[in-house]
Order: sequence, then C-alpha cells, then structure tokens
Amino acid sequence: MKRFTNLLKKEIKELVTKQLIISLAFTVILFNFIGQMSKKEVRKAIGVQTISALDEDGSAGSQALLKGLESARFKILDQSGKTKDQAIETAKAGESKLLLVIPKGFGDSLTELKPSEIETYSFMRSFSLIGARGQIVVQSVISALNEALSNNFLREKLPDMDPASLKKPIKSKDFVIVQDKMAEGSANMVAGLISQQSLLIPVVLMMIVIYSSQMVISAVAMEKQNKTLETLLTVPIKRTSIITAKMLAAGLVGLISAGVYMVGFKGFFGGIGDEAGMAGLQAGGASMMRQLGLYFNTSGYIILGLSIFMAILVALALAMILGVLAEDFRSAQNMIMPLMFMVMIPYFISLFADINTVSLPVKIFILAIPFSHPFLVSQNLYLGNYGMIAAGLVYMLIVFVILVIAAARIFSTDKILTMKLRFGKKKAAAA
Amino acid sequence: MPNVLTVRGLKKSYGSQMALAGIDFEVRAGEVFALIGPNGAGKTTTLRIVATLLTSSAGEVTFLDHDLCKEPDFVREKISYLPEEAGAYKDMKGLDYLHFMAAFYARTPEEEKEFVDRAVAITELGDRLRTKVGTYSKGMTRKLLLARALMTKPVLAILDEPTSGLDVLNALEVREIVRRYVREGTSVLLSSHNMLEIEFLSDRVALIDKGRILDSGTPAELKDKHEAKNLEEVFRSSVR
Repeated sequence: MKRFTNLLKKEIKELVTKQLIISLAFTVILFNFIGQMSKKEVRKAIGVQTISALDEDGSAGSQALLKGLESARFKILDQSGKTKDQAIETAKAGESKLLLVIPKGFGDSLTELKPSEIETYSFMRSFSLIGARGQIVVQSVISALNEALSNNFLREKLPDMDPASLKKPIKSKDFVIVQDKMAEGSANMVAGLISQQSLLIPVVLMMIVIYSSQMVISAVAMEKQNKTLETLLTVPIKRTSIITAKMLAAGLVGLISAGVYMVGFKGFFGGIGDEAGMAGLQAGGASMMRQLGLYFNTSGYIILGLSIFMAILVALALAMILGVLAEDFRSAQNMIMPLMFMVMIPYFISLFADINTVSLPVKIFILAIPFSHPFLVSQNLYLGNYGMIAAGLVYMLIVFVILVIAAARIFSTDKILTMKLRFGKKKAAAA
Repeated sequence: MPNVLTVRGLKKSYGSQMALAGIDFEVRAGEVFALIGPNGAGKTTTLRIVATLLTSSAGEVTFLDHDLCKEPDFVREKISYLPEEAGAYKDMKGLDYLHFMAAFYARTPEEEKEFVDRAVAITELGDRLRTKVGTYSKGMTRKLLLARALMTKPVLAILDEPTSGLDVLNALEVREIVRRYVREGTSVLLSSHNMLEIEFLSDRVALIDKGRILDSGTPAELKDKHEAKNLEEVFRSSVR
C-alpha cells in the first residue's frame, strides 16, 4: 500500500501543474466574465429600451398605441414635427433601436375598422438575437393592440357573444401521458424541458472523459518519452498498481477539473439564462414535469452518477491501452481521437435523433459504444426502462473489466515496451 | 563464489527476428560481469530480460535460486536496473526523485533516509539536488540515476552502458563508484561498447555478437587466449 501511495502521489503531482491551475482559473474567470457580460446585455434587452416615434396622426388611436408601448417598458423619443427622413436620421444618430412611424389617418382607419398600417425601422447595430428583441416586442404590442381593437369591435356589434369564442370557436386542451401519469401540457414542451434538463449530462461526460483520458494517455506516453518507464517497471511494485495509480490520479484530477469547468459553465449559462420570463416558464414546466414524474429524485441522481462513473472508468482503461501505443507525447495527442469519436457519436446522435427509435443495426452500433449508455440513462429513468439501465451498467462493467485485464496483460508483458502504433511508418522492435 | 545469477540457453525473438540465439553465463557474488559486443548484438535484450522487463522465448534464468520467470516480484526487490537511455522525472527536484525511488525499497522511514543519504553522497551534487532534474546536465542526470541504482545496495545492479555520454572525468568517477559498491557486496552485470572501461571495471567478460556468446573469461585470460594486447583485439579475433 505504501508503494502504491508513493506512486499515486507522484502521479497526482505530475498532473496538477501550475499550467493546469492557471488554465482552470482562467477558464472559470473567462466563463464568468462572458456570463456577466451576457447577463448585462440580457438585462439591457429586457429593461427600458429607447425607441423613436414619429406620430403623424396624433389621434386617440395613435396615442393609445404609444401608451401601450410605454407600459411595455419602452422609453419613447417623440419625433413629431419632423419629416420621415429627418426622423430616421435623428433616430439613427441617437440611441434608438427602432423608429415607429404612425401615418396620418391611422386613428380614423382604426375607428372605421379598416386595415391601417404603421411602419417600423430597426437600426441593426449588432446581429445578436438580444439586439433584435426590440422589434419583436413592438410586434407583440401591435398584435395585443390588434386583439384589443378587434375585441372592442366584436363586443360593440355582438354584445352577447364572447369575442374570444368567436375568434377561436375550436379550442384545444393538451394533455401529456407518460406511463400511467397525466398532466396538462404539450408534448413539445415536455420534450423541450427534457432536453434542457439533460443538456448538462453529455457536456459533463464529454469533458471528464476527454480530460481524464488525455491525462492517462499523456502520463504513459511521457514515461516513454522521458525514458522513465523502464526504471519504473523494474521497481518492486505490481504492474496492476502502476495502472491503477495512473488511472486513479487521472480520474481524480479529471473529476476535479470537470467540476471546476462546470462552475465556470454555470457562471456562463447563469448569465445568459437568467431571465425572469424564462424562470417563470420553467416554474410552470416544473410542476407539469413533477406531475408526470419526469424529474430526478435521489436514486435517479445516484443511477446517473453511477453510469457516468462507469463510463469514466471505461474511458480511463481504454486510454491506458492507447497510451501504451503512443510513442511520445506528440503521438499521444493523436491517440485521444478514437476516444473522442466514441464519445461524440452518441452525443451528436442524441442531439438529432432518438437512440431508442433508430433502426436496429444503428441501435446495436450505438449501444455497443459504452459511452452511449449514460446518454440514455435519463430517458430510460423517466420511461421506467430499468432493465435497459441495468443492462447498460453491466455492459460498461464488462467492458471495463476486459479493458483492465488487457491493460494489465500489456503491462505485464514485453508489449509495454514493444507495442507501438506509428502513423505511416513501421519500426521493428529491436534491442 | 556462489552464483547470484545463472543464465542457461536464453533465447529471445521479436517476431521473426532472433535477438538471442541461446546464451549461457553466470554472475558470481561480488563480481562485475560484463557483456561486450557491437550494436544489436543482444546485450540490452539480455539485460532487459534479467531486469524482468522482457520475457524470454526459451531458456532459464535463475536469480538466487529463484526462477526469474515465475517470481519477478522477488527479483525486483533485490535488483536495480540502469537503462542506457534512462531519464528521471524532469519536473521533480533531484532530492524528491531519490526519495520517490527509495520509498519503493525502504521498509521504514529510517531506511528510506539511509538510502537517500547514500545516494546524495554518490551524486556529489550538493544543493543542486534541490533544483529540478530538467535543469541538470547529462552527466549530472547520469550520476543521479547511478546513485538511484546503487543507493539500496542491491544484490545485483544491472548497468547498461553506465558511462554513456559522460566526459572522461565523470566516466572515471562513475567507474570508481561502481567498483566501491562491488567491494561492499553488490554484484554487477553491465554492458558497454567501451572496451577500456570493461577492462578497468570487469572481473569477467563475455563477448556477444548476433545473439550468441563467442567467448568468456577474465580480461587477462581472454587476452592470453587470443594473444591480444587488449579486449578490442580479443573481440576482433573472436568475430573472425
């Protein structure tokens, strides 16, 4: 045990370098900075926005429209008395994001219930989605105004009728059923919320797997490059202990690094997703998801954690073998590619398709990749497919055991020194 | 003197390439036994097999009456191996490297300190041991590695080209250190291209070429037998 601890300490010390700490700190600071910047922009976008208005009509109807906009948190700069071109120039030179032109006769058209037209001129000073939000709000104010005007008209002409029923005689009340639970809501909304909930799983998994594997591959490759491996293999320590120490150190540092990155991500996502409206929508969705049983309880989190942990172990064992194939640090960089693909295939498929409903050969191919299973855990948990979850865990365990046995055999034989994968060249192992 | 190491009919092939074609030799307690021969003769392969790094294709290697093949863990406790192109962890300080290596062999903290103190004395690097190995010259690194190999006073030290890349003074110093440890009881199996070094260091020598041992004996015996002035001439005569 003392020898193992000695080696483990050395492995951890080798991985936790100044560069790693600086890069982690830099990432957290950078993500937080971007998050804060985005937050500021979002606040700006949902806060009071300045628009210019040229009211050529000056009627009660046009005043009602401008009042409606003011109550929608717009600061309106009055451009009355100017020509349209002058108003455009003035608005463009100022801070207005939009110029609203209400033509003459607007109020009369409204009273007579004839189609009336207003013009909007958006000044695009950036192409961000947040930047274009002004026009969207104006459109929604206009549509609210349209709604109010048509309702007034209908109430006037048909006082005994509900305008809403007249406009939409058929109403749909949507329900979603999952297993034996039912809740009011749309399937679209459920799918959207599920994908939002599971968004972090592939990100976390990809980061830890790639990070830890890179560390293991590099650790073995660096021993080869620095010519320290031969000495290490002749000291009195079991080869399995060498493998375990390297995997454990990389796993620990990988987990901590991924945790730090997640803190950074949280700062980033917290910044861009911290809108009051979004929170409200999520609160509404949360109660629906709870009714449908589509949420993670403690045992759900444990199962998900276990699945991610198994995937990490598989990745580390595979990385150990790939590390042996690498000749030096440079070739170790190439060795990470197959592992990255193995993680990215289920990730991208999970983004665009449902793994459970693809054709059988594709399904077999995806399920054969051990890293696919953590992606499926949340879906299977929600749908009660516990058999699939258990099968996935057992499969990953079997793959891990096979890979560890293979790695131990490689480390116990000549292969540790003679096995090489050279890209484009062949070299005989000679003494 | 009893044998520390006995090698019989040792063969090794890498695929179709035969590196050792059946060699026999033994290392006696308290002697320096040297393998000399050209590049690719099979010296390093032999040393790597004895150091438990490679497995043999055929033959028998016995270390202190233990089968090396069956009990590699026992062998690793008692030997130390200095590869020709060995390196040390560049980001470690010299002293930390010695402590790291000593901890694998020492049973108590006192023993670990004893090993490290011995290594510090061998290196003669003083305060430089408190700096990172990456800043050392080739000679300093080689001395550090030699100190690592000898600090535990192993039963058998396997040294592959121990003075490789060293200048004359450093090489001389390394040879003196090796001789001193042999006097204190360590047996040495070494390989070298440098015939002068072999003459100075070795009690017995085996001439190896194309995976076969051509001749063996003390340097004096071999010179007499081949009527040669030095081991270089002995080797030329053996190859012919």
